[in-house]
Amino acid sequence: MWRDTVLVAGKDLRIEARSRVALSQVAPFGVVALAMFAFALGPDRAPMAHGAPGLFWVAVLFCTVLAVQRSVSVEAVDGARDGLRLSGLDPAGLFLGKAAAVAAQLVVLELVLTVGVILLYGARIETPWLILASSVLGTIGLAATGTLYGALSAGLRVKETLLPFLFLPIAAPVLLAGTRIWQAALSGGIPADAGPWLRLLVVFDAVYLALGVVVYGPIQESA
Amino acid sequence: MNYVIAGYSIVLSILFLYGVQLLWRRRRLTRAAARVAAYQAEHGTGVSPQ
Amino acid sequence: MTTLTTRTSSPTPDVSTLPLQSSRARWTVRIIGISAAVGVALTVWLGLWVTPPDVSQGNTVPGNLVRLVYIHPGVAWVALYLAFGLAAVASLLYLWPRTRSMFWDRLAAAAVEVGVVFNVCTLISGSIWGRPTWGVYWAWDARLTLTAILLVLFLGYMALRRIPAEPEKRAKRSAFVCLFAAVDIPVDHFSVLWWKTLHQGATVLNPDLSPTIHGSMAWTLLISFVALTLVFVWMLLVRYRIGVLGDWLDGNELDVALRERQSEGVAADTGGAR
Repeated sequence: MWRDTVLVAGKDLRIEARSRVALSQVAPFGVVALAMFAFALGPDRAPMAHGAPGLFWVAVLFCTVLAVQRSVSVEAVDGARDGLRLSGLDPAGLFLGKAAAVAAQLVVLELVLTVGVILLYGARIETPWLILASSVLGTIGLAATGTLYGALSAGLRVKETLLPFLFLPIAAPVLLAGTRIWQAALSGGIPADAGPWLRLLVVFDAVYLALGVVVYGPIQESA
Repeated sequence: MNYVIAGYSIVLSILFLYGVQLLWRRRRLTRAAARVAAYQAEHGTGVSPQ
Repeated sequence: MTTLTTRTSSPTPDVSTLPLQSSRARWTVRIIGISAAVGVALTVWLGLWVTPPDVSQGNTVPGNLVRLVYIHPGVAWVALYLAFGLAAVASLLYLWPRTRSMFWDRLAAAAVEVGVVFNVCTLISGSIWGRPTWGVYWAWDARLTLTAILLVLFLGYMALRRIPAEPEKRAKRSAFVCLFAAVDIPVDHFSVLWWKTLHQGATVLNPDLSPTIHGSMAWTLLISFVALTLVFVWMLLVRYRIGVLGDWLDGNELDVALRERQSEGVAADTGGAR
């Protein structure tokens, strides 16, 4: 399983390295989204700084939808999905590999967005390791659920509109937890508050990773 | 007390209306199925387009 | 020239595949429905007249608000645990190869639809209770938010089922979505324990298992749960029947339409040949 994970992750990341979709399209989209929020919240910086955690995570969520759609579409051409199914790759490895690739792209995106939030909204980070922890844990959760839902909607013609509608509510706990942890990590927040939310993220990640490893195969077969 | 009355009325109305809707759907489908079944009894079942 | 093969015009017509419902089944559903209605009427009577207002606050607005406890926790229990829980179990049983059967798929679909209706009732009754208690119709605390998220998740389930597909594929896809969504049910349940929420802790199923409610209020609460559960069961059975009929029609209406089309063609041919 782990060998297949590395194989699939490597494949997806190599495709990304060559096409640079995440870097040249999704990341700018994220930054544009942050700018849109800034316009919407008005010239006064205070509400922006106050809302920075939430806005950051909403932007991350939108970028995740795009990254997952991209991850699904690389296999939509030329019957590549059937090819993968017949290739004998362990479906659990396929799941973990695709999720890992999405996670890697998300980490880079989050870096860009974090810088954006600091510059555009004037957010001041007091406890950086909390930001790091929330990013790592949140990214794992988003990548796992995103990959699962991407596979579920893969064969459908309405997948572009269905995926966000299905995925965003599932990802809502990550949004909630990530936002609270960020609020604790910014100046004026209490780091200790983040504890229960970090625990929630760990449980969330564990549950959906375990589910994904078990059901990704059957999902592939029915797509 | 107004809140209580509002709460009871709204919830019970929703449940009642949904219940009525279920009964109506069931009746509509039962009639449609009866029509189809009558037709099949006359003309036999089993067109196989494959 | 048509190439459809048909088994037509035999002297004894083929047996219809219409799923008939035994009269015993019909009567069971009817009796459950009547019991449910009686139970609800009983709950309303007990809740609004017989039970006393809150002991510490007397016959005032806040004192009488406690009467909502005979509606709100009941619909919440039905929606979250009974309906969505049943849907999750049914989805699991559908996915498990040894127990796979369209029965579980239809049961899950019925349970989710009824559950969504009860979920809406939960949010509305909770909101009405919240306004005089907390001053706001809505607050973004963990329990309320998660209950709203569950609503959206299962609306997504219903949307997914509307996409035209082979019944088995649709069933499998829906089952997965139902399971993923059901993960949030225990999170919602424990949310009042894990986080500081606006919503109060569990009245009966709290960790100490010692209910904080007594006397006629406790009895009425129990009756309200039974009544609302009966309402759920009745709705589930009717909705399940609707699912069975709908699926049967989907399979057979096409047959009928094709045959009518075909017989039109034959008539036109023979008419033309004459």
